[in-house]
Amino acid sequence: MGYSGYYNNYQQQPNHAYSQPVGAYQNTGAPYQPLSSFQNTGSYAGSASYSSTYYNPADYQTPGGYQNSGYGNQTTMWNNGNYSNYSSHPYTNYTPDSTGAYSSGTSTTSMQYPQQYKQWADYYNPTEVSCAPGTENISVASSSTISCPIPAVTSGYVTPNSQPPQSYAPYWRPESNSSSIPSLQPGAVTYGAHDGYWKHGAQSSQIHQNNTIQPNYQNPLDLKSSYDKFQDQQKTVSSQGTDLQFPSPQQVAPAPIQTAPSLDTRRVGKLQIPTNPRIASNLTLGLPKTEKDSSTNSAAPKPAYISVSLPKPTEKVPSNDAVNSILKPGMFPKSLRAYVERALARCKDDKQMAVCQAVMKEVITNATADGTLYTRNWEIEPLFPMPDADMVNKDSSECSTNDSVLPKYKRSPSRRSKSRWEPLPEEKPADNLVPNSSHTEKHSSWIHNDRDRKETKEGKEDGLRNTKWATFLQRTSSKTPQRYKKQRLAEASIPSENGDASSDSDKEQGLTAYYSGAMAFTDSPEERKRRENRSKRFDLGQGQGHRSENSHFRPKNAGAGNLYSRRASALVLSKSFEDGGNKAVEDIDWDALTVKGTCQEIEKRYLRLTSAPDPATVRPEEVLEKALLMVQNSQKNYLYKCDQLKSIRQDLTVQRIRNQLTVKVYETHARLALEFGDLPEYNQCQSQLKTLYAEGIEGSHMEFAAYNLLCVILHSNNNRDLVLSMSRLSVEAKDDEAVKHALAVRAAVTSGNYVTFFRLYKAAPNLNTCLMDLYVEKMRYKAVNCICRSYRPTVPVSYIAQVLGFSTYMATNGESNVRDAESLEECVEWLKAHGASTIADNNGDMLLDTKASSSTLFMPDPEDAVAHGDANLAVNDFLARAPL
Amino acid sequence: MAYMSMGEAHRRITDYLNRFYDAVSSQDVASLKSLFSLSSNSPFLLSLADALNLFQDANRLIKQSDKYSLYAEILVPVFRSLQNYKQGNLVEAYQAFEKSANAFIQEFRNWESAWALEALYVIVYEIRVLAERADKELASTGKSPEKLKGAGSFLMKVFGVLAGKGPKRVGALYVTCQLFKIYFKLGTVHLCRSVIRSIETARIFDFEEFPKSDKVTYMYYTGRLEVFNENFPAADQKLSYALKHCNPHSEANIRMILKYLIPVKLSIGILPRDCLLENYNLLEYSNIVQALRRGDLRLLRRALQDHEDRFLRSGVYLVLEKLELQVYQRLIKKIYIIQKQRDPSRAHQVKLEVIVKALKWLEMDMDLDEVECIMAILIYKNLVKGYFAHKSKVVVLSKQDPFPKLNGRPVNS
Repeated sequence: MGYSGYYNNYQQQPNHAYSQPVGAYQNTGAPYQPLSSFQNTGSYAGSASYSSTYYNPADYQTPGGYQNSGYGNQTTMWNNGNYSNYSSHPYTNYTPDSTGAYSSGTSTTSMQYPQQYKQWADYYNPTEVSCAPGTENISVASSSTISCPIPAVTSGYVTPNSQPPQSYAPYWRPESNSSSIPSLQPGAVTYGAHDGYWKHGAQSSQIHQNNTIQPNYQNPLDLKSSYDKFQDQQKTVSSQGTDLQFPSPQQVAPAPIQTAPSLDTRRVGKLQIPTNPRIASNLTLGLPKTEKDSSTNSAAPKPAYISVSLPKPTEKVPSNDAVNSILKPGMFPKSLRAYVERALARCKDDKQMAVCQAVMKEVITNATADGTLYTRNWEIEPLFPMPDADMVNKDSSECSTNDSVLPKYKRSPSRRSKSRWEPLPEEKPADNLVPNSSHTEKHSSWIHNDRDRKETKEGKEDGLRNTKWATFLQRTSSKTPQRYKKQRLAEASIPSENGDASSDSDKEQGLTAYYSGAMAFTDSPEERKRRENRSKRFDLGQGQGHRSENSHFRPKNAGAGNLYSRRASALVLSKSFEDGGNKAVEDIDWDALTVKGTCQEIEKRYLRLTSAPDPATVRPEEVLEKALLMVQNSQKNYLYKCDQLKSIRQDLTVQRIRNQLTVKVYETHARLALEFGDLPEYNQCQSQLKTLYAEGIEGSHMEFAAYNLLCVILHSNNNRDLVLSMSRLSVEAKDDEAVKHALAVRAAVTSGNYVTFFRLYKAAPNLNTCLMDLYVEKMRYKAVNCICRSYRPTVPVSYIAQVLGFSTYMATNGESNVRDAESLEECVEWLKAHGASTIADNNGDMLLDTKASSSTLFMPDPEDAVAHGDANLAVNDFLARAPL
Repeated sequence: MAYMSMGEAHRRITDYLNRFYDAVSSQDVASLKSLFSLSSNSPFLLSLADALNLFQDANRLIKQSDKYSLYAEILVPVFRSLQNYKQGNLVEAYQAFEKSANAFIQEFRNWESAWALEALYVIVYEIRVLAERADKELASTGKSPEKLKGAGSFLMKVFGVLAGKGPKRVGALYVTCQLFKIYFKLGTVHLCRSVIRSIETARIFDFEEFPKSDKVTYMYYTGRLEVFNENFPAADQKLSYALKHCNPHSEANIRMILKYLIPVKLSIGILPRDCLLENYNLLEYSNIVQALRRGDLRLLRRALQDHEDRFLRSGVYLVLEKLELQVYQRLIKKIYIIQKQRDPSRAHQVKLEVIVKALKWLEMDMDLDEVECIMAILIYKNLVKGYFAHKSKVVVLSKQDPFPKLNGRPVNS
């Protein structure tokens, strides 16, 4: 209950003093921070330097740093639990208030958790300040639902709850402190809650946390994720930190340390994950285990959680040790780090992160096992598809089974086939949570804490939410395609929400995310790290003094590691490029990279891939065949079909399917594009078809040779190209009807013979007409120019209409009078539109006055011209694009 | 190959090294260029290659001696290239040679005078030829031939070295021509534009200052480019320059020029004499010329068909095809002349039927509309002066000069 209570208090804090929280946090122990320290907490501006402190125990020594660290811890805790929430959180309400207190905080903490911090701040500020609309909360909740089920998180949270107050004491104290020190809070009115929060962080209890965190950080940096070491460090650090900064806390700390470690480990692990993928990557090694443990634990009745906390660390230790031994800091190839980082950068939340780490651990252990750890080129090593957390939990230990399941992943059996789109919520944790009402409640309290704040008065709502949450969990727990969709929806909503947010940082975030492209969603850890780095920039300036003070600590942790990670993160891509350049392309084992799709959905929207394809979203050949049929028989508009065909093409490409189906798909698409007049798309298909035909795959070779010719003749107007493609025609090709037609069209065009051209236009086989369509206007204009120049005095419009293809029948045909009249009218209109002057003769027949017209002809602007130059992008069509 | 003793091998290698050193120090370009001319297959170089294969430690010889080690960057790869060349590893040979050439131009840059220009020519030429052969080797093994492309960018570098104010600038045109050869071979003629621009617009270059042979080559290639662009007057001017200055004894070159010049001349209304076609074995054009003289559309089409492949390959097909209008013109003119002989007063009115009949006689099956269209085009393009009366289906010719001659102007487009 501690947590929920804590949060409730939290919420209430703004309204009233901390009296309530005090009750909750009786543990808060006497050890109390000096006011000054608190003030520091309040003003985080100075704390910029602290960010670094996070990594360094030394930072803690400095009072300012200490608080920050506390703060950081808190955030981490927060993140730990709600990380997912944050990520999903739209940030809409990023208010100046927050900036006062939090932005500075962000900058300070930025070193460690800048992104999270910020998010966190955002998260809080809105709620506090403006009582943001319920929508926010909802969105958060939904997003959280996705990610919250993470076993580790739940366990982490649950454990605290279940655990005796002692262990918690440290954590809660801060709050109590805040409560006990009302004087401070008044000053912090708006963010009193935060203050309290921070204080809580600042407290001695947190030192302990800090300690825990530190080790983790160090570990990651060192690439050791050993928990035992972590513990050691904890102790040492805690002692250090306490000594220097908070002598009083020290006393408190030792006690919690024992109990806390387990919790902390969990949390810390989680915490770090979101923040710095690089660091997190290191955690990978350790984390998977914890996750497993937690999952197993979660399976057990609730009490298990309590017990879990202590035993776990011990359990973990050996495994971690093993990992450590494998991953001794110096022994790691840098490229591997980059690889790990890359992989983790794709993760969007804790869950994925954790799973990812698990997978990576396997990859690495496998690599070490077969001795390829150093020989393998990690820079070009394909990222494994985003694994499904379920699979990891179930199979993390069963590489062999995975192998058999996914034979294509020859190199790293551990690669999972699940996508980044795959919902991360896991059945196991969810199941555990759902039945357990208390769990869910707690969870909800966690998740809703922001809401709760707003709704301090409305306890009912909270309850409602809780129930919702629970149901949601249940829903997520059930395996259904819906879930999948939902996930995608949720994801989709995120960016849009971000878009709504108008704060610069958000925009920036979006932009950077956009540019960071390959790996990142807006919320991705990658992006976070970027932010972190960005804010670190400022820290560098401000925190010099601290740095220098702490320098003796830093080299190991923050200094080298941070810098390295930062640079590395920035260079991941470029590096991989550089090094990739050294590696000959042919050395890449493309077969190993080829995906084999498992998706059974026939319909799929095209989405340009920004990362390695995920088999779960890729359709195998049989399904693609059906999809092609579906498109061919579809009644929907071209844009829909184009979209579908592009996705089919994509699936074919990623699976490296090059056969008759491929040809068929491209041919279908090319034809559709021709019909629609979409030349760019047609050209893509044509160039693909060229190579496909060249590989000897059967298809409508001649038909497309004709199209190609026509395209060159009519649209590229490049003599050299034309001559080239003509000289490439085989003898059989020249006998082909379509090719002959195309060649005749060419002759007509080069000689300007409009009569022949329009005859050919009417007699065009296949879709040659469509290509000629695009040239008709030009040809008519040229023809009328020619006619005006050479004919005197007049030319009957009927003749022009007939010669220039306005009428579909020969004028002599008696039955076609009606059509003639229509075509005549059309022709007159066309002539007028082009500046020709017409007169009527005695019989009332329209005549073209050639002499008068010869000087007035002009080419009108195309009627369907649009500002953006692509008429195909008509708004209505765009809107009509069928949403999936 | 007779057995070569170690001493003999050593002697040959040091001989080469000495020759190289002496040539450089005495600025003896004739001697120097012979040392790089792989494709000359001179016995000296071939035996050196054998010696190198036998005497594995030639690099040590270079590095031991101060005077040779100065040029180790050039010599070591040249030896490797020679070895590979002899063994038929052309790709390797090319790569090594390019490396050596690279070192050479670094050295060349430092020489104030242009004494080594001819050696540079040889190197540039070898680069191109080796690259072509290496590409052939690559293609035969199924790899993508990219060496010629690489040679192209290397030559651009050489061009950059030469394109300066100093006396070396006269070498720029030679490199340009080699670049043309590469680009034409690769089919990336658009790349020619940048070199042409710098040759024709840069103040440092005075075109007349370049060696004559380079000028002719340059004009030939730029003329060809103009043919592609259907810019006939410019093509005529350039190709005529090439023809005029071409060594009259190098018939192959003259023939190459004529191959493009004749279609250009035809399209501006100038017909060659038959003896010219015979002398230079350009008989594929004779029927076309004949068709133009007679107004024989059928002959023209047949000639085009007969030599379609050849014309397409050389890229003059479209140019020749456009002669059709001139053939029509000639045909109408003939009809007009016949009419004039019969009835001078009504000769300027040519009935469409008559033309259709004439075409039918030529086995050209065209209906009234088509022929009317062609007449309209002829009038439009100013090949025939007059107008067409649609109602009466008659071409009314101008009484004054109804069939204007092109006289060196291209047909109005």
